Amino acid sequence: MSGDAAEELARSQLLRGLRIATLLVAAVIALALGGSHLVRSLDVHDHVLVQVTSFVMLGAVLAGEAALLVLRRPWGRLRRPAIAVVLAASVLSSVTLPDGQTSTTVDWMFGAANFVGLVVLLDRPLRIVGAFLATHELIAVLNLVLLHDVTRDALLRLATGSVNVIGVPLCVAVGASAVRGIHAAALASRQEIERVRTREAVAAEAHRRRQHRFAEIAATSVPLLEGLADGSLPPDRPDVQRRCAVEAARMRRLFAESDTVENPLLHELRHCADLADRKGVVVEFDARGHWPTPPLAVRRELTDAALTALATAASWARVTVVGDADLVSVSVVADCGDVEVHDPASADVRVETFATDDMMWIEARWQPARQGTPSRR
Amino acid sequence: MSADPEPTSAVIVDDHVAVAAGVRYWCEQAVPPVRLVDAAGALADVWTGPGADADVVVLDLELVPGNPEFGELRRLVDSGRRVVVYSQHVDNATAIKCIELGALAYLTKREGAEHLVPAIRAAAEGLPYTGPSLSGALAADDTSTRPQLSPREMQVLRAWFASSSKELVAAKLNITVKTVDTYITRVRVKYANVGRPARTKSELVGRALDDGLLTLAELNSAAAPTPRERRRS
Repeated sequence: MSGDAAEELARSQLLRGLRIATLLVAAVIALALGGSHLVRSLDVHDHVLVQVTSFVMLGAVLAGEAALLVLRRPWGRLRRPAIAVVLAASVLSSVTLPDGQTSTTVDWMFGAANFVGLVVLLDRPLRIVGAFLATHELIAVLNLVLLHDVTRDALLRLATGSVNVIGVPLCVAVGASAVRGIHAAALASRQEIERVRTREAVAAEAHRRRQHRFAEIAATSVPLLEGLADGSLPPDRPDVQRRCAVEAARMRRLFAESDTVENPLLHELRHCADLADRKGVVVEFDARGHWPTPPLAVRRELTDAALTALATAASWARVTVVGDADLVSVSVVADCGDVEVHDPASADVRVETFATDDMMWIEARWQPARQGTPSRR
Repeated sequence: MSADPEPTSAVIVDDHVAVAAGVRYWCEQAVPPVRLVDAAGALADVWTGPGADADVVVLDLELVPGNPEFGELRRLVDSGRRVVVYSQHVDNATAIKCIELGALAYLTKREGAEHLVPAIRAAAEGLPYTGPSLSGALAADDTSTRPQLSPREMQVLRAWFASSSKELVAAKLNITVKTVDTYITRVRVKYANVGRPARTKSELVGRALDDGLLTLAELNSAAAPTPRERRRS
């Protein structure tokens, strides 16, 4: 994102430089050179006021460009009126030329309006600049054909003058267009680089998370898988089958942990229960009450004992959750054999087991640390 | 407990034929059997004909989907009928509302013969029956009008909900099954004593006092937890 902004800035700075340079060239050619031609030929002109007015019009457009440059703004909606002013000045100056003075130094406008128009159209596509220059040329041609004697000299002057009048601004316009093209390409490739970098970062993060999750099951699942692979843990041994069932349930829980659900604890427990369900164990599942969502580590401890009991249940299991703001209790009663229960790492979680001849009852309770929520009871 | 030779009778109002047939089978298999009248989803048959004489009404709460029959439950309870609500609803609010309206038992359809038949027998004698799921609903009840329950009562409710076996609850808490029942009944009596008065509920409270299950002082402290409560009744 910041790369894009920097690129945009550089681009606009470069184009600004181009704009300033063009403005200076236009000012020198149109105002200084054109102005000096005008001053020197004032006594030749029949309509001095009209000539001076058209000069002021060009000057006003260049002043407008200077103001916009200071404000760092493009011409925008003012562009069309500005071009209209330039062409009007061109027409005014041309039609009031004394007889036989077309394309001479007296016709100062012929070599001035083209640069002023270029200043206004510098950031437009090349064909627009071309159309403007053609219009300017057309005014000169029509002026010659309609209002003056078409002599061989006049035509030659028009032809030689046109080379400069059209050629030079067109060269500048082509250069500007090339610069814009290069910068558009640079911008596109910068954006592509950014996209690739973002994709790489996302992939790296996903990999890191997978590694992290893998580490969580590596301690228990990997030795089991290795044992199965090298034959030291034959799959027909009941204790190996038990371990497999527990690990499968643990993985199911791991997959469920990344789901976005309203009640993650119930969601993860259901996944644990689902595995028992598939083995043909009748699972009763019931939950009552509303409780705050426990953190992931606590949820693992709450579901861990249940997971083991469910994975090893023979035919029947009852999973219940009852909770409120102060206490969440997860119970599993199942006809599983003895289940070894690890001491929970969190001080807020307590696990109790109770066994009869044929039933195992494991209850994990979580008392959320006081967070200023007053007990209702 | 019952000395009369007449078998317990119940009328079931449920528009699901399979449910009615299943319940009939359970009732016939029960020892001693329960005589079941099938009102086939027609509430009128509970008030007239053989259904009017049945000891217990087994009511499907949602005869019209999405429209629980709380009004009908209220009318039945007010006219002194003993109602067991048998519902597919599993949410707390519905269960507690049925109990507040005076139903003697609230069972979800996940709970089968092992709870429905004892519930019908208890209701026939005017006694409440609390199944594990209702027990969980009472334990998790967080409405402001709930009666005050002792920690031991909460513990028993939770354990009964979790294990669905009173023998396990008794063994785990080191008490007898009878004591487990006593705690659960005390909770129901406390619930019966709050909220709107209903005939079956006042009978229940009176009976609990007669049996010495609760003292008047305990009942008063349980029944008046908040000022808001008093305004409600």
